[in-house]
Amino acid sequence: MTRVLNAADRGEGPYVRRFTPVQITLHVFIIVTFFGLVLTGLPLHFSSAPWARFMVTMVGGLETAGFIHRLCGAITFGYFFTHIATLVVRGRRDGWKRLLWGPESMTPQPRDVRDIIGMFKWFLGRGPRPKFDRFSYMEKFDYLAVFWGVAIIGFSGLLLWFPVFFSRFLPGWIFNIATVVHGDEALLALSFIFTVHFFNVHLRPEKFPIDLVVFTGRAKAEYMKEEHPLEYQRLVESGRLETLVAPPASRATYMWAMGFGFASLALGLFIIGLVVYAVIRG
Amino acid sequence: MTRRLPQVAGVALVATVLALAGTPRPAASQGAGVVNCDKCHGNRDFIDRRRDRRRADTLMYVPRSALEQTAHQTLQCARCHEQYDDGYPHDARARVVPCQSCHEQAGLDWEASVHKANATTRGDAPQCTGCHGTHQVYPTSDRRSSTHPLNVAETCGRCHADERIIGTYFSTADKATASTAVAKYYETVHGHALTSAGLTVSATCNDCHRSHKVLPSDSLSSSIHRDSIPATCGQCHEGVVEIYDRSAHGSALVRGDTTVTGHRAPSCVDCHSGHGMVRADEPSWHTGAVEECGTCHEELYESYFDTYHGKVTRLGSDLAATCADCHSAHDMRPATDTASTVHPRNVVATCQPCHEGAGAGFVQFQTHADPRDREKNPQLHFTWLFMNALLIGVLGFFAIHTTLWLARVTIDYRRALRGGGSPPAHGGGSEGDA
Repeated sequence: MTRVLNAADRGEGPYVRRFTPVQITLHVFIIVTFFGLVLTGLPLHFSSAPWARFMVTMVGGLETAGFIHRLCGAITFGYFFTHIATLVVRGRRDGWKRLLWGPESMTPQPRDVRDIIGMFKWFLGRGPRPKFDRFSYMEKFDYLAVFWGVAIIGFSGLLLWFPVFFSRFLPGWIFNIATVVHGDEALLALSFIFTVHFFNVHLRPEKFPIDLVVFTGRAKAEYMKEEHPLEYQRLVESGRLETLVAPPASRATYMWAMGFGFASLALGLFIIGLVVYAVIRG
Repeated sequence: MTRRLPQVAGVALVATVLALAGTPRPAASQGAGVVNCDKCHGNRDFIDRRRDRRRADTLMYVPRSALEQTAHQTLQCARCHEQYDDGYPHDARARVVPCQSCHEQAGLDWEASVHKANATTRGDAPQCTGCHGTHQVYPTSDRRSSTHPLNVAETCGRCHADERIIGTYFSTADKATASTAVAKYYETVHGHALTSAGLTVSATCNDCHRSHKVLPSDSLSSSIHRDSIPATCGQCHEGVVEIYDRSAHGSALVRGDTTVTGHRAPSCVDCHSGHGMVRADEPSWHTGAVEECGTCHEELYESYFDTYHGKVTRLGSDLAATCADCHSAHDMRPATDTASTVHPRNVVATCQPCHEGAGAGFVQFQTHADPRDREKNPQLHFTWLFMNALLIGVLGFFAIHTTLWLARVTIDYRRALRGGGSPPAHGGGSEGDA
């Protein structure tokens, strides 16, 4: 039996909607701007790496690289605040408690600690695999890391973008700190996303080679049962599952998601290769 | 032979015309007796018939006209060719008078030069005529002179660009500069000024190495010895050398200070390497100069490349500040010196040309901060420690997480295969869901 490439397409049952078009769009923005920032910032961070100058040339020279970096930074602020706005809308519509706590919330909760312990027990063959709700602790970490990352990298980036302005009320050594924080936090972000996030979401054997749910916004019921059993159970019991059933993604959407998804995976892994090379070479 | 006839006829004609015109010839004013050299040496046919096969006839054929407009045009042959008489063979005491008998200082200088030593011992270094020629010694200001500024590099290059000479004298590593000196010279700002802009005031070989007292740089009396270089360059770059002399480098050079590594203070060519000299507004200079400073200021070099200035410069930017932009090109002084560009009193003005509006807060930025130095940069040090801990902590945790996960799925997969069943379709629900 040939394996279906998209993990969210495998198994039985109808498609269930998991992400809204706004969420899909924001994630695409994250990917595009993140690559823009990485490709223009990495040569600066590893300026002595043999590939650094070539990479600068490939993105159009130093000044163009600087422009792209700042532009992508500005767009990042854009999607960041757009997302905050959607949270506010949801908070007002569905209630703040449901947004900030409970099974549908991104907030880390005691059950996440239990899940982490449970996963390690399962890894070591000492217990069943924990059942996740709408968001596993890994997904929460991904999400909150972007949240924290955008705030930290974004603010330090603004400091470095407008040093004369900020030095009117901040001491100049803050730019030394901003330089270290901006670069190291960015390095952490890309190292995490291109390895851990890629593995957890796409490359682990259960999902290999790719999971397109974040692009198509929908996954088979069986996928939901496997990956988010508690959520699936809740949806069935409350009868809300019926309202989330969706037709399969259009062929155009599917082709686009496949191309964009694999290209992003390949580019991310390639960049990790460059980073590893630069770090090992010292 | 036939091809030479018109030429010979022409010269003969010139000689005849000159003779008829009564070329001034104060007979027997110098030398011994009445000598008419031109009778034989100005007669091409005669020379051709009588020439000694071992010698090129051009050496013997010296019509009076050959000296026209040269520096020696008023001299009689006998002034240099002593004791020659009308007879042939010439008097046994006949000899060529040393140039030094008139050019005393030049002679003394040459005697002290490396050329003299090698001319005597090996015979492959130039004496006077090697550079100046024999009869056609034009004044240096004459474009035809082999020592005219526009011709000097070519004159020196006859030997110094010659493979045989380079192989003999300049093949060792410490003579690497000398082995490519002439070719490199044409690529320097001095060479470009000479060949492209036609500037005769641009420095050529003898302006730095001296015309006669040519000595290697390790010789104390050499014009290119470290201690003499500022004075040598200062012949033209007077305004720069007067600043340099007061700088940290200039005063340390005069004092003879050495660094812990035994290095002397840099003179001009340590930064503007003699035969690799480029214009300071060229991009290659911008990055190259940092490397030069870094050969001594190692820690500052390292920390410079931790900053945006350094990183962008390394990527080829010629806009970001390099060493000289903050420390000045020639007037670099310690930060404790009130006249220093990096003295706290002056540093705002130093940053402002690039960072318009920079003030007292801005200049608290540490351009050479070392995050590993807890004493000097505590805030930065602890930030750096935290970031490293975060990086290692997060990636380390998930490295373990990922490895264990992979191991678990692999084990379950194998177990399922061995158990005869089909491998788990989705991996997730193995033992746990069972």
